[in-house]
Amino acid sequence: MGNVPAKESPPNSGGRSRSSTYSGSGGGPFGPNGSSSSARRNTTSSAYHQSGGFLNGIANANDKRSKKTEEKDRLHRKHLLGLIVRYTENVDGGYLAPFGTYKSNLDYNCDIVRGLIMKRRLAPFYTPLQDFDESWTNEELIVILNQLPLHSIETAYSNEEEEDDIDNHKIHKSTNFYRRQEQKAKLKELMLQMKQIQKEEENKYLEIKSSSSVGQRSVELSSNDLLLRLYRNATECPICFLYYPENMNISRCCLQPICTECFVQIKRLDAHPPHDEEHNSRTNNDSEDLPHTLISEPAHCPYCASSEFGVTYEPSLDICTGFGGIKPGKFRSVDESNDDAIASSSTSPSPVSPRKAVKPRRKSSLAINTPGVISIDMIRPDWEAKLASARNKLARKAATASAIHASNLIMNADEDSYSPSDSRRNVGSSALSNVEQRMIEEALRLSLLDEEERRAKERREERK
Amino acid sequence: MAALPKRIIKETERLVSDPVPGITAIPSEENLRYFEVTIEGPSSSPYAEGEFKLELYLPDDYPMCAPKVRFLTRIYHPNIDKLGRICLDVLKDNWSPALQIRTVLLSIQALLGAPNPDDPLANDVAEDWKKDEKRAIEVAREWTAKYAVKS
Repeated sequence: MGNVPAKESPPNSGGRSRSSTYSGSGGGPFGPNGSSSSARRNTTSSAYHQSGGFLNGIANANDKRSKKTEEKDRLHRKHLLGLIVRYTENVDGGYLAPFGTYKSNLDYNCDIVRGLIMKRRLAPFYTPLQDFDESWTNEELIVILNQLPLHSIETAYSNEEEEDDIDNHKIHKSTNFYRRQEQKAKLKELMLQMKQIQKEEENKYLEIKSSSSVGQRSVELSSNDLLLRLYRNATECPICFLYYPENMNISRCCLQPICTECFVQIKRLDAHPPHDEEHNSRTNNDSEDLPHTLISEPAHCPYCASSEFGVTYEPSLDICTGFGGIKPGKFRSVDESNDDAIASSSTSPSPVSPRKAVKPRRKSSLAINTPGVISIDMIRPDWEAKLASARNKLARKAATASAIHASNLIMNADEDSYSPSDSRRNVGSSALSNVEQRMIEEALRLSLLDEEERRAKERREERK
Repeated sequence: MAALPKRIIKETERLVSDPVPGITAIPSEENLRYFEVTIEGPSSSPYAEGEFKLELYLPDDYPMCAPKVRFLTRIYHPNIDKLGRICLDVLKDNWSPALQIRTVLLSIQALLGAPNPDDPLANDVAEDWKKDEKRAIEVAREWTAKYAVKS
């Protein structure tokens, strides 16, 4: 991976291309598709060709595969649709899908998060304020709030290249690799569709806003009272630095606030070997690491680094609008004087309205298994499956490595036993057939592993 | 290029309005995700009196992944290699999105004050450090005087 920093110097290239040089893990100076890697690919594929029977096996599996892909596509589409913000789907003045502060490569389970928000166990995705100043008057605040879009389409669906294929640097390029290339194009198309859908939602929202400003405001839109109640004391999320209604999710361990948009970004690190001495002990032994020793650790709290990050959320009981409550347009502040302040165009910032239903906020940390604590694993229940597939991948990699290693040994032995006699040729050919035999065995083994993984996935999907 | 996230804008503003003593970070005009950084060596370390140039880049996924930081000035330190790469937990697995440019640079400054030859990146330097710490510190001081000259 020594190439990375050397590329850091020119500051002028665009953001995306830069970051791809940074994230390129070991692509080498030739880049991810450089000549060195394609040459390597050929060696592996030749191993496949020598085992014709194996290829036939693949052909049989193809039918099943295409069905599997269809199903996968369907699920993916459903997942992406779950990330669309719709103004009609609101809870307490917030929404069920993220605003789009981060790129929309979100992998949390949409159904689970939407469910948690509707049950008010997790703060809804509120539209963030980019700036906030306490000295703004209520009217100024209302004007700003009413101009906010539903979704930050350009950031979330920016058309820039997806990350490089993580398998690009690998010696063993599975058929998966080529399928992924195809899927990339499909994904691009899909993202464009999603962008379109989100745009339509945005237009609907704009329409209802503009039509309601003339006479009656639609009850589907948050009333000004609701907006003020939420944003009058807007608070900065310590991670994205954007302003949200002050009632945020609170970390279970150190009682720090975090907005839901940042919360769903936190995830487990990729599976890794148990000790983090990766850099100084990268020996041959290591690459043949026992795959089952790979571990995946629960996400740490970003604030205090406690293990098993989780949050709690206590809904403000006085605002219960949207799902399971009144229409957001029907919300009125209970405080009469506050209402008057809004009506009589106050020019100075009105005093903070006395908080209704002030509940005792949690004062101490909670264990991860306390009811009400939402953990990262709860919104990404697929982590176990991911760990299993990482182990499989490593197993395959190790198998390929040992096959190559073994064949090299045989070749070397062959050279060592160099002698001018005929016996040498005999040794050579038997060694060669030996290599062939091994490679076939290896190919079979890999296909078995593939199959195993496929079955595991099927089982997982059935469970859903 | 997508618009700069608010977080990066605010961090940059705050770096200017409330600078960290002994540390500067100035965004490049062409790419606001790229910073030219200087760090002063801690006074009690062999790097004292030195001013080290670094570069810092905020990847697309920042703050969900760590900034990329590298020394540009040559430095004799067991956890910093010839290419300027830094072995520091918060730049890798221990990154947290609650950390900032400011905190990362402070951590690097602290690393200068507390070299850790048991978790080396520059193996040769770490060896020297373990064999003869006094001598190693001397070399570090020499390098500082030679390369980390204040501009």
